[in-house]
Amino acid sequence: MATTTASLSLTSTDLFDDSLSISTSNALNKAGTTIGLDQTTGLNKIYLTATTNVDVITVPGATKDGKKSHVYISNLSMDETEYMVVSVGDKVIGRLYAGDWMWMPWNQQAQHLSDIEIAPSVATGMWVEYMIIHEGVVLTSSADS
Amino acid sequence: MATINATLTVSSSDLTSNNLSLSKQMTMSKAGTSTGLELTSGLVRRTFTSTNHVDLITSGAQNYGTPTASDSGAASKVYIKNTGSDSTQYFEVGLGTSSGSGTATSDAIGGTHLAIGKLYGGDWMLIPAHLKATVGDITVQPSTAEKMTIEYMIFFE
Repeated sequence: MATTTASLSLTSTDLFDDSLSISTSNALNKAGTTIGLDQTTGLNKIYLTATTNVDVITVPGATKDGKKSHVYISNLSMDETEYMVVSVGDKVIGRLYAGDWMWMPWNQQAQHLSDIEIAPSVATGMWVEYMIIHEGVVLTSSADS
Repeated sequence: MATINATLTVSSSDLTSNNLSLSKQMTMSKAGTSTGLELTSGLVRRTFTSTNHVDLITSGAQNYGTPTASDSGAASKVYIKNTGSDSTQYFEVGLGTSSGSGTATSDAIGGTHLAIGKLYGGDWMLIPAHLKATVGDITVQPSTAEKMTIEYMIFFE
């Protein structure tokens, strides 16, 4: 097992009359246990040059349903007008504008249903970063022809 | 406008053979601009004592900004945390329509609901949200009828 920690700090000095300061931290464990997640995709960096909706991670089956994963995605664009639409399956979560990131739990419930998808708003090139920390993914069978 | 900063840090000394240390800060801005988001739900705390599948956040223009029919340009963000400490108890978080009963709305491509993941004790998430009426609802279903508490906060235009 490994020990991986995800922390969040949310702050603002002018959203309210009083300051906003929320901080939280948790260890990333396997589902229903205190055993740390021990697998990861590593930090991926990709460059997308079309507005096509693409699978970042494809779920080929349901054998990992119920396993625990955490997903990080960030839009590395510097242009504040550029965004990407993030979806799970055909359900849109929302838009990540330039500099935005997201962190969420993820369940590989079923084939295609749980695919993580992104669609850039422009075809002029957009850098995207993502990482999944998980307790197993199903890999597709190899085929040489 | 306001300046709201969210910083994510993910770290591990033994997940891989090299240390993992990811730190990412974002300043929450309105869609397509560098103008900060300035509206919020405040930090909401809710306690659940049944396993019914319910709306945690009911979206729609009347509540959170002005989402459009095309899934909206809003750059809203939602923070959710399972405040519990029990590693076996969780909230399953989903998008779309809740059933209101102990059996969650079925998940299907083209359907009205999709569970995206589970927040076990201490887990949190921060995601963008288009908050479009109905399909932008965020649902939860507790894993147990024992008392469980969730906190959430919406930042929106």
